[in-house]
Amino acid sequence: MHILAYTYKLINKSTHYTDMNHYTARHLISGIFLSLSLILLSLQPANATYKVTSFETGDAEIDVRVFKADGDKLLLGFACDQGSSVAEEATASTLAKDGIEVWMPDMLSAYMLPKLRSSLYDIPTDGLEKILEAAVKTGKKIYLVASGPDTELILRLAQDWESKHKDTPLGGALLMFPRLNKTKPEPGKPPVYQDAVGKTHLPLMVLEGERTPNRWGVGHLTNALKKGGSTVYAKLIPDVRGYFFKRNDPNVPEDLVTTQMSGLIKASLFFLGRAH
Amino acid sequence: MFKITLISAFIAFFISTVSAAELKKFEGDALAPALTLTSLDGKEVSLQDQKGKVVLLQFWATYCTPCRKEMPSMNKLIKKLEASKTPFKILAVNMGETKDEVQKFVDEVKPEFTILMDEKGENVQAWNVFAAPSNFLIGPKGKIRYTLYGGVDWDADEIVTTIKELAKDPSKEANKQKEEVKS
Repeated sequence: MHILAYTYKLINKSTHYTDMNHYTARHLISGIFLSLSLILLSLQPANATYKVTSFETGDAEIDVRVFKADGDKLLLGFACDQGSSVAEEATASTLAKDGIEVWMPDMLSAYMLPKLRSSLYDIPTDGLEKILEAAVKTGKKIYLVASGPDTELILRLAQDWESKHKDTPLGGALLMFPRLNKTKPEPGKPPVYQDAVGKTHLPLMVLEGERTPNRWGVGHLTNALKKGGSTVYAKLIPDVRGYFFKRNDPNVPEDLVTTQMSGLIKASLFFLGRAH
Repeated sequence: MFKITLISAFIAFFISTVSAAELKKFEGDALAPALTLTSLDGKEVSLQDQKGKVVLLQFWATYCTPCRKEMPSMNKLIKKLEASKTPFKILAVNMGETKDEVQKFVDEVKPEFTILMDEKGENVQAWNVFAAPSNFLIGPKGKIRYTLYGGVDWDADEIVTTIKELAKDPSKEANKQKEEVKS
């Protein structure tokens, strides 16, 4: 009952859109509605079925969890919790069942880095480029996904990929709850972003929680991301807080969005696909 | 013994996370943007009407954990400054939440200062606020003098002294600003 009530709210609540005309906004809502409806009809938990494939680069061996699927889309990255949460594997399994192949590389272990925010900035993109090259060979349209500070890495990857593979464009990138500030926020001053912001022209979708102060920065971030030539969509998810998928005290909407993340991802990929 | 050490370490960490932030001298256009909002109890409050007082203008949200933790220290700060007859006012602007959500929080946390409602977030945008809690310490002549992001013990001696200094004769404050410009 709570789930249905929240779904209704998600569809009807007035939310903030950036760079989206009314027509597009209506269609995003429809997309989310459709995805959530489909998922609500099949709420049984997905089994995490994947194979681990290793990629050797010059200085690392990267293990990638591959959730195979028959569809024409491939999602590379990790939607939440740096690739180690239960919800993430369940999300990947659900996506794979719906035809979206998911590759989840374990970057921190590959480079023997501690699970810290600062570690992410030390990860070179060459290993991920090698994985991308293998992903491209599948013939599927490739999309990148990351959450929180991890979004810096995929923006950097997109920039490097575009500079070296001009004839092989990627489908887009999904930035879930991006944390891209370079410095501590300073009241009264606009944020200073990581260098990778505004350097790619990849279509981008930003998802942000409504109950986090970061929601007030979505417009500013969107404009900064557009500087690279990207089409940028943004969407607020009602009633969820920042890092909701890591919280020990999730509320009903947070529980729902965590378990139904695949619906949001599918709706986002739909719009990223339309940006070309 | 190990248990006590662990608990002490946890307490030390907790304290440090609340009081880690520091007041930072504001560099930029010091003239505060206009701000007129309705308080939680329905009164219209304007920042411009507070001239002659030091104002702590805080942008906060009910889901912001540091905001919740630091509000009791803001109550204590008011009492300390009242004791020294320092003209001071706290205006705490809620960032885009509903009256019901804010009232529930207020009933629980019991802030003893003015809570202002900015349900559309217009002032959040006008003041360039992108995080919570975001604090502006405004001098008696209406100029932003310090900012602070994050949770802090507001009744700490250092902050009380800074506010008392700011509250001194506004003409002295103006002279001090001129001296800063010259140097």
